[in-house]
Amino acid sequence: MDIYKEEVMDHYEHPRNQGSFGDAPAKGGQAGQVIEGKDANASCGDMVQFQIRVKKVPNSGTSESSELEIIDEVKWKGIGCAITTASASKLSEYLKGQALKVVQEMSEEELLEKGIGFSVNPGREKCLTLPVKVVKKLLES
Amino acid sequence: MKLKFDPELIKRDFPILSREINGKQIVYLDSGATSQKPQVVLDAISQYYMTSNAAAHRGAHQLGDEATQMLMEARRAVTRFLGAGSEKEIVFLRNTTEAINLVAYSWGMSNIGKGDKIVVTEMEHHANIVPWQQLAERVEASVEYVGVTSEGKIDIDDYKQKVKGAKLVSFVQVSNALGTVNPAREMVKIAKKSGATVMVDGAQAVPHLKVDVSSLGCDFYAFSGHKMLGPGGAGVLWGKREILEKMKPFLTGGGMISEVHKDGSSWAALPDKFEAGVPDVASYWGLKVAIEYLEKLGLPAQAGMESVREHDMEIVGYALDKLNKVTNLVILGPQDPEIRSGSVSFTYNGVHAHDVATILSENNVMVRSGHHCTMILHEKMGVAASVRASFNVYTTKSDIDSLVEALGQVKKTFGK
Repeated sequence: MDIYKEEVMDHYEHPRNQGSFGDAPAKGGQAGQVIEGKDANASCGDMVQFQIRVKKVPNSGTSESSELEIIDEVKWKGIGCAITTASASKLSEYLKGQALKVVQEMSEEELLEKGIGFSVNPGREKCLTLPVKVVKKLLES
Repeated sequence: MKLKFDPELIKRDFPILSREINGKQIVYLDSGATSQKPQVVLDAISQYYMTSNAAAHRGAHQLGDEATQMLMEARRAVTRFLGAGSEKEIVFLRNTTEAINLVAYSWGMSNIGKGDKIVVTEMEHHANIVPWQQLAERVEASVEYVGVTSEGKIDIDDYKQKVKGAKLVSFVQVSNALGTVNPAREMVKIAKKSGATVMVDGAQAVPHLKVDVSSLGCDFYAFSGHKMLGPGGAGVLWGKREILEKMKPFLTGGGMISEVHKDGSSWAALPDKFEAGVPDVASYWGLKVAIEYLEKLGLPAQAGMESVREHDMEIVGYALDKLNKVTNLVILGPQDPEIRSGSVSFTYNGVHAHDVATILSENNVMVRSGHHCTMILHEKMGVAASVRASFNVYTTKSDIDSLVEALGQVKKTFGK
């Protein structure tokens, strides 16, 4: 399996949303809750940290709640291989603008499929799934 | 005279090594994780199951007798191979990890107490760290770590300092991550002089060096058969008889008792005291055949482990030479084959070890990537992960050439 496809290499070489809110403060006036989580890949010590900022917007769709929480900003950083880096980068792009509740209700597999969308051989599965695990864990907290 | 054998011929004894993927023969450079097995070992295992399989040490029937005999023969082979004083000193276990855990629980719980010091080194495999950390936690002892130099050697001055007053010293004879051959005899001597009990992790030494526990002078020695051409599940703990005699059992149950009564039990004699449950005779029998295979290698006839080491140094030297010429590679550990055995590990500037290993695998070259169960060492070296090419008697110079060629693909993919 050729896992180093153009798309993967592009995200690896030009990772999106890299950094943290600490390093690059978001624009003023956009106060929102920042949640953070990190984890490591036990087989190589790679570490990924995700920060997600949630914004409340008026919910016009249903009468259930007057406000809807959406993921407004995503930042991630870490040390990782090409696969972990591309996976985190793609996931960060996907998460932006998603309703928090929708992502919370997704299974790991679903998030992997929708948020990342490429696959690797079994030996590299941990590299691919590390960012997903971090995000799932932080959304549960 | 050079003690030699031709690894190209040896390779033919290992059926798996003729396997082809995408029409190309595989290049197996992950023997440090586990070695491949020669046909004679595979045959011995299946022969055992086809003709003699029974529960050893139990019952009085013919097959049970044969299985028991085979287990005894296997123990004799290991005793000879390690230069041990007695078969009573050879405990059959699953692997090195189990052997170290046995010592940590059985000897450790009785001999290490509050405030005592256990000394290991920064280059230990997790198997020689975590059991001691766990022991220290239980009895409120401490674990200290001897430093490693930038060259990848034990800092012997630091070692001399740290072992002072230590109750137990445990160190690796050959580093699985750096290939360093530690001056084990000297280190044992220093630790014994200050009164410590000494354990040596021989997992990466036994496949490549002639080991003689009697002249090494340590108290415990552990190794895994599967890294030295034997089957999985056949590991060995050697311990000095007088120490093993005093130790309590680790796992308890059938086979390790003398008598069992409602008000208590007594233990079988050595080594059975440490071998609860029906033994895996097939694997120990396979280990015996692997030992005989190694002993017969080399010229002059049956130079055995001496010629194994000769070949090891030649391959390590060749790999160092070739890999040093690859741009962007940083070799970890000693550059001198005299103090390096079994492997060459490296990092590739700008490309993660897992990515390097994946690309090598796409080119049929199989190496290990990651921290190789030595997180403390990798932290010390300031690298998250490294690539390790590791060898055994079937490794040829052409295998190393294939590795170097495949590394060219890393450059192509990553442009570095």
